[in-house]
Amino acid sequence: MSPAVLTQSLRKEFKLGWGRGRVLAVEALSLEVKRGEVFGLLGPNGSGKSTAMKMILGLLRPTSGRAEVCGFRAGTLAARKQIGFLPENPYFPAFLSGAELISYYGRLCGMGGTRLQDRVQELLSLVRLGGEKGRRPLRTYSKGMLQRAGLAGALVSDPEIIMLDEPTAGVDPAGSREIRDLIRELKQRGKTVIFSSHLLEQVEDVADRVIILHRGQKLREGRLEDLLTQTTEWQVRARGLGEDRRKELHAWLVKQGAEVMEEGSPRERLEDFFLRSLPEEERR
Amino acid sequence: MRESGRRILAVAANTFLEAVRQKVFAVMLIFALVLLGGANYFAEFSFQEQFKFLKDLGYATISLTGLLVGLLGAAQLIPAEIERRTILTALCRPLRRWEFVVGKYLGLVFLLGTMLAIMAAGFWAVLRWKEAQLVGAEGTEAAMIQAIQAEARDARLWQAFWLVSAKLFVISAIAVFFSTLATSTTFVVAMTLMVYLIGHLQSVAREQWLESGEKVGWILQAFLAGVAFLIPDFNLYGLIDEIVAGNAVQWRATLEVMAYSVTYVFVLLAAAAWLFEGRDL
Amino acid sequence: MSRTPSLVWGCLLILAWGACKLPWEIRMTRQQRMATVGFTGPTAVAVREKLGQGLVLAALGGFRGLAANALMLEAHAAWEEQQWVRVRSALELATLLQPRVALFWDLASWHLAWNAAVAAERYGGQSSETKRRIEARKWTEAGRELLERGTKAIPEKSLLFQRLGDLYWQRLEDYQAAAACYQEALTKGDAPPYLERFVGYALEKAGDSAGALAYFRRLRLSMGNPPDPARKPEIVDREIERLQSQAQGSSGKNHR
Repeated sequence: MSPAVLTQSLRKEFKLGWGRGRVLAVEALSLEVKRGEVFGLLGPNGSGKSTAMKMILGLLRPTSGRAEVCGFRAGTLAARKQIGFLPENPYFPAFLSGAELISYYGRLCGMGGTRLQDRVQELLSLVRLGGEKGRRPLRTYSKGMLQRAGLAGALVSDPEIIMLDEPTAGVDPAGSREIRDLIRELKQRGKTVIFSSHLLEQVEDVADRVIILHRGQKLREGRLEDLLTQTTEWQVRARGLGEDRRKELHAWLVKQGAEVMEEGSPRERLEDFFLRSLPEEERR
Repeated sequence: MRESGRRILAVAANTFLEAVRQKVFAVMLIFALVLLGGANYFAEFSFQEQFKFLKDLGYATISLTGLLVGLLGAAQLIPAEIERRTILTALCRPLRRWEFVVGKYLGLVFLLGTMLAIMAAGFWAVLRWKEAQLVGAEGTEAAMIQAIQAEARDARLWQAFWLVSAKLFVISAIAVFFSTLATSTTFVVAMTLMVYLIGHLQSVAREQWLESGEKVGWILQAFLAGVAFLIPDFNLYGLIDEIVAGNAVQWRATLEVMAYSVTYVFVLLAAAAWLFEGRDL
Repeated sequence: MSRTPSLVWGCLLILAWGACKLPWEIRMTRQQRMATVGFTGPTAVAVREKLGQGLVLAALGGFRGLAANALMLEAHAAWEEQQWVRVRSALELATLLQPRVALFWDLASWHLAWNAAVAAERYGGQSSETKRRIEARKWTEAGRELLERGTKAIPEKSLLFQRLGDLYWQRLEDYQAAAACYQEALTKGDAPPYLERFVGYALEKAGDSAGALAYFRRLRLSMGNPPDPARKPEIVDREIERLQSQAQGSSGKNHR
């Protein structure tokens, strides 16, 4: 089976016009995303993440190189049928309601009739925009609601691959957690998820493999486990040890020739603490 | 083919809905006010003069309203979507770029067509009201009443209406063409207006370039050739003035101008689609 | 793949279309001109003047009718103030903008050849009656010249030929010319029936009673049997009888 996404030496130059030269946004990018995995595109602002995504989607033409989606050339109708996309800080036609937006995207994907209507209701429930919320115009939506509506639109045709460009940008911690849970759920359903972010700790929670881009070039690529595991170190987290036992343990480790690099009570992540502090109904 | 048609219709319906919900139809209120106000303005003139004024006012107001809506609507179709980035979520779907361009244009045509039909109905109603007013004032002289009715119920007015519509559809297609090249709405509006104005000069330029043999500088010759080649001949729609003047215009001539308009729209949309195909978003 | 091929194809398409549309536009323009003024070629006007006029017309876009109507209102206001030069310039501009509107030529000639001329003759600023008459004649000639141009702009309708005939009759007392104009008007097919008789009246007024009699006889014959009552055959019969007895009376006198 062909990989979900395959690029070979993908390159993109933007001409500035009026003789002002060119900007190299992506250079010699080769990557492979396997089917069913969660793939993270990491990098600071301007590293070429969005440009790479757009080339895979066919919204930008590569200056050179190749990209394929499920074996189809990127940008073709067959390739785009495989992908659902949510851009960064999405803007939608403000005059449409949430339900109308999803329905519009569904019709663009060739859906119609009761099948589309049912799917719209299903997705509105999934992203918690059912009922009256789904009938309101998008201009009355909060940022988080817009993000959820966009996600529903990306999922309407039940695509193989879901591409999310900075899906948690500008979203509150509860909303971020929701999106990450959704990504996990999509993975469980066998979908391939490709998302970009510059919020590294959020990527770490969900991604199987990542690629790190900087100024259009690939720096590193691999499984998170392989990239992040410090094989020369060992970490233990224990409960129920008194002060004396801790000192004993420290002394024993030193005696064994180990260097104790860090000890002390672990710190909870601020995000987890924040979410635990909220009332139950606000956490979701 | 059928799937393509469905996608185009989806884009067209969305474009139409956007305009309706943005209350574009409200601009027709201005049309209605102008026409009703104008209907009574020339009361001291002869009935022929009054009808001429009313018909000129009606067609000019329909044309201007349609021009504003078509121009501004078409100018926003693509640059505004690129600026707002709403185009990304549409074009990442299995939707061809030419389908998007055609769908956008068709949505605008639906909008314009609806507005033109409403304005035409309103114009017809005002003409009949004027007829009743004048017949009441003229008494019972049969010849006079017949002449007034002939002015008000002139079937050729429908020909003029179709010509006005065809002209507006061509102008909208020109705006769509520029909008596939441009990044700003202002550029699209300015370029389309320029083509609109020069289009009324095109036949003069064409004749001077092709037929008169008069010696002019090469720069002027090049300009004249460029205008003749690239710009539509809006003087062909001068049949509208003929109809308002009460002169006979054959349906054959009107239909040929409409065929010219349809062909022009087709070429412009094809060129727009070609240009848009390679555009980075 | 770059953007260049799409740009090139798009531009080529526009250029190819330009080459195709030119003959079509030329043909349609000829046909429209043929159907209106019966004249197909470009007018022999210098390029710059034509372009200048064209620029003005282009600036008005499709709203020439409104501009022409505004000039009509200006002429009306000027008429009320008896400012004949303003009347003339406003109406001449209106006819330039919409040369195919008979109403403008008709109105213009009426204001010049009748209103302005009569005002000049009766109330003009000239000291002597002769000078006032010369001034009035100038206005009448201006009206005639305008109508002549109007008949060239709208050659297929009878109205302006009829008005020209009226002008020759009423203002210039050139009854032969009036008769010729009325006859020309009758060839257009939309002339009022009474104009047929006016040809005869004009011929008689010009002193050509024999010509008038011959004309009325030909007219009566052309009415067929039974004649169309709208053409008033009884009036034509009466004129034939009157002219016949006139002719007999004058030949009787000659014999004595």
